[in-house]
Amino acid sequence: MASLPTPATDYLPAVARGDLAAFESLYDRYSPTVYALLLRILGNADDAQEVLQETFVKAWSNARMFDVVRGSEAAWLISIARSRGIDKLRARRVRSDRENDAGREISHRSAFVDHATGAEDAIRSQEQRAVRGALAELPEAQRIALELAYFEGLSQSEIAARLGEPLGTIKTRMQLGMKKLRERLKAYH
Amino acid sequence: MAHDDFEAMAALDALGAASADEEKALREHLSSCLSCRRARDEFAEAATLMAKDLEPVAPPADVRDRVFADVTPAEEEEHDRGFFSRWGLATAATLFLALWGWREIGIRATREHVQSQQADIERLGDQNRVLELQREKLSAAVASLASANTQTISLTGAKMSPSAAAKVFMDSDKHRAVVVFANLPSCPNDKSYQLWILRGDQPKPQSAGVFDVAKGNATITIENLPVMTEIKGLALTMEPRGGVDQPTNANYYVVGKT
Repeated sequence: MASLPTPATDYLPAVARGDLAAFESLYDRYSPTVYALLLRILGNADDAQEVLQETFVKAWSNARMFDVVRGSEAAWLISIARSRGIDKLRARRVRSDRENDAGREISHRSAFVDHATGAEDAIRSQEQRAVRGALAELPEAQRIALELAYFEGLSQSEIAARLGEPLGTIKTRMQLGMKKLRERLKAYH
Repeated sequence: MAHDDFEAMAALDALGAASADEEKALREHLSSCLSCRRARDEFAEAATLMAKDLEPVAPPADVRDRVFADVTPAEEEEHDRGFFSRWGLATAATLFLALWGWREIGIRATREHVQSQQADIERLGDQNRVLELQREKLSAAVASLASANTQTISLTGAKMSPSAAAKVFMDSDKHRAVVVFANLPSCPNDKSYQLWILRGDQPKPQSAGVFDVAKGNATITIENLPVMTEIKGLALTMEPRGGVDQPTNANYYVVGKT
């Protein structure tokens, strides 16, 4: 199991003080991860870029709300992006025919990356390399349940319906999967 | 429910997959459970591993430009802060000048106050000297009243003021007389009372003093009383303010013979 490097310097405290240079560093460090996440959630480069922009603008204006005790600045940013991405995804589902989304395959993550503009500019940090494969260590059934919840914003019931499994089974899979991720995270710290 | 149940809810919540009821129960429990709050934060952090697991993708450069263009208002806010800082400095400078001016005004006022106090001291000194003279006169009058040689003469009210009266305490040794008047009408602003000595050796009255009466009573001291000559009597008239050389009327207020 790979070990995580020493956590990088947090930029958010400086960003909270209005330090534009720190904000640039924050953007350069995390935008590839956030953008990849939004591409994964939205499956559309234009939407992903729009939400990426919203995410960092919100980070700029709300940086003072970041609490280092509660988590890393990467987690804080990712949480903002994921929340906004899921909101946009749900709004889009309401507006358009759900069939486009329903037919999407969970395992096609790389396809979204290929659609992305500037995909060749992907940046790999030490930390990202260290956590790479976290999901791969999970049993597939657990991983799929987690991905459907995290990347598609589906509820337990929706996942159960999608996979044709009992609700209790899905709930247990998700809880077990999250416990393993938590243990893996603890192992790095 | 046990902590394990809430931790299980926290795991689902980190994925955004907790039901509304689970979210509510979890929120209520977290408000009073530190260990479950920590678990919730750890699950939230763990959930981000799913994002970090993705292959990073650099966004197009124009997104970066748009992001920084969007935070430009914040930069303008910085400008605003700068403006307000400058405004603050200007305000501080104005305040300083105002305080400095106030201080100067204060110093000037203090100087004026000191000058005023010095003037008061001089005025009080003058009053003190007047009072000292009055005290000396009063002492002399009291001495005259107490003298064994003092002769007392009563003067009675005349037709202008029948209720008025006066007593003359005449000290021949000191050539001095103290006259105490009572129940005299108040003087109009343009008038004064004038006491006259009617001498046997002169056809015309001799002024013995001019005074004003505000509340009916008055006391005057006559110095250099002509004791060597016959004093036929005393009379009081009301004359133009400040007194005259000779009586202008025969309207006596008090008269009497010595």
